[in-house]
Amino acid sequence: MSGGYTILSLDEVETASHRGSNLIPVRHTLGFRPAGVNAWRADAGGQLIPPHEEDSGNEELYVVVRGRATFTVGKETAEASAGTFVFVPPEVFRTAVAEEDGTIVFAVGGTVGEAFNAGGWDSFALADTYRQAGRLDDGRAIMRQLIAERPDYWATSYNAGCFEALAGNPDAAFEHLRRAKELAPDEESAQYFREDSDLDPLRDDPRFQELLG
Amino acid sequence: MNLTHLDELEAIELQDGFVWRPVRRHFGIRAFGVNAYTPGASRQVVEEHTEQQLGHEEIYLVLRGRVRFTIGDDEHELGAGQLVFVRDPSLRRAAVALGDDAAVLAVGGKPGEAHEVSAWEYTFAAAPHLRAGRYDEAREVLCEGLEAKPGSAPLLYDLACVEALAGKSDTALELLNQSVGADERFREYAQTDEDFASIRDDPRFPR
Repeated sequence: MSGGYTILSLDEVETASHRGSNLIPVRHTLGFRPAGVNAWRADAGGQLIPPHEEDSGNEELYVVVRGRATFTVGKETAEASAGTFVFVPPEVFRTAVAEEDGTIVFAVGGTVGEAFNAGGWDSFALADTYRQAGRLDDGRAIMRQLIAERPDYWATSYNAGCFEALAGNPDAAFEHLRRAKELAPDEESAQYFREDSDLDPLRDDPRFQELLG
Repeated sequence: MNLTHLDELEAIELQDGFVWRPVRRHFGIRAFGVNAYTPGASRQVVEEHTEQQLGHEEIYLVLRGRVRFTIGDDEHELGAGQLVFVRDPSLRRAAVALGDDAAVLAVGGKPGEAHEVSAWEYTFAAAPHLRAGRYDEAREVLCEGLEAKPGSAPLLYDLACVEALAGKSDTALELLNQSVGADERFREYAQTDEDFASIRDDPRFPR
């Protein structure tokens, strides 16, 4: 990084694992703010884009930067060579599989009519990858940064709670989760607290029942 | 599936000799700005500019070939899969292709604000029609822009150019004055713009 700009090679960014795919965490690495930008890498036969749908209003554009991929969007399947753009409207199922080694797909997303606000799922994926590699301090640094950036967003504290639960630190986990519960005492968050397997290490702790209230 | 290869996108060659591939326009994307560029008569793939006016953060990703970027006073040669993120909107940036097959993807927007389609996209889309004397087509594109961005000074100005060239002096003068009213800078541009040769002596022409 130097004076107001950054050069980045997608090949040189440390990848994170996210739902069975290799994420190149472009947005997190650059600190890009106007839209969600990330990339995915896989070898032949590997999953590039995790099967998912985007929330209402969230448009997404994918472009194959290198290699070849098979996209499934809704019920349609199509092959996409390097230089191919695939546009997917909100709420439509999508996934992609690499057909060649070293295939890279770049993705841009955002919500129509709304300022982009990073939910931080990509940063969390990187933190969690660090945690699984035993690099707890690196992962924790990311979670701290996310909380500092959006102290009032429940999901950030919630994810920090998951991180600490999985890292075997129940005290820190409960502290984050209590904060998350304060910030989002609604049904959406309640479902996560009830069903998320990340919190399994805490479920037998009496503090967990207290938390669910 | 809504899928298109870069080479199948419309290729709009602009005056500086670079070719605009209107990705956002093609797909009707509204959530963010996204466009691609390939070399045309010149090797330019990113025109020299700043984003000061729009306040955009921009990413330029090389999709294929090799490209030499000039960012401020620095030069960087990048290949496919490499990108430059220009965080500072006031930084001057430009890029030239080092081969015919180069392509650059540009993604940008203003942090903290919902994306608005930039006026220049309509100007670019109208440019080839204007150059070829297809005034009806140029007018249609610019009116589409004014519908999306009512009162936009650059679009009113561009439409004034079209009407002046099409011989519709009254309409041209009215639009030009509206443009100058919305943004004083267009008064200065108008003084030397050849498109207004037919209306420059009219007393209604903004001095």
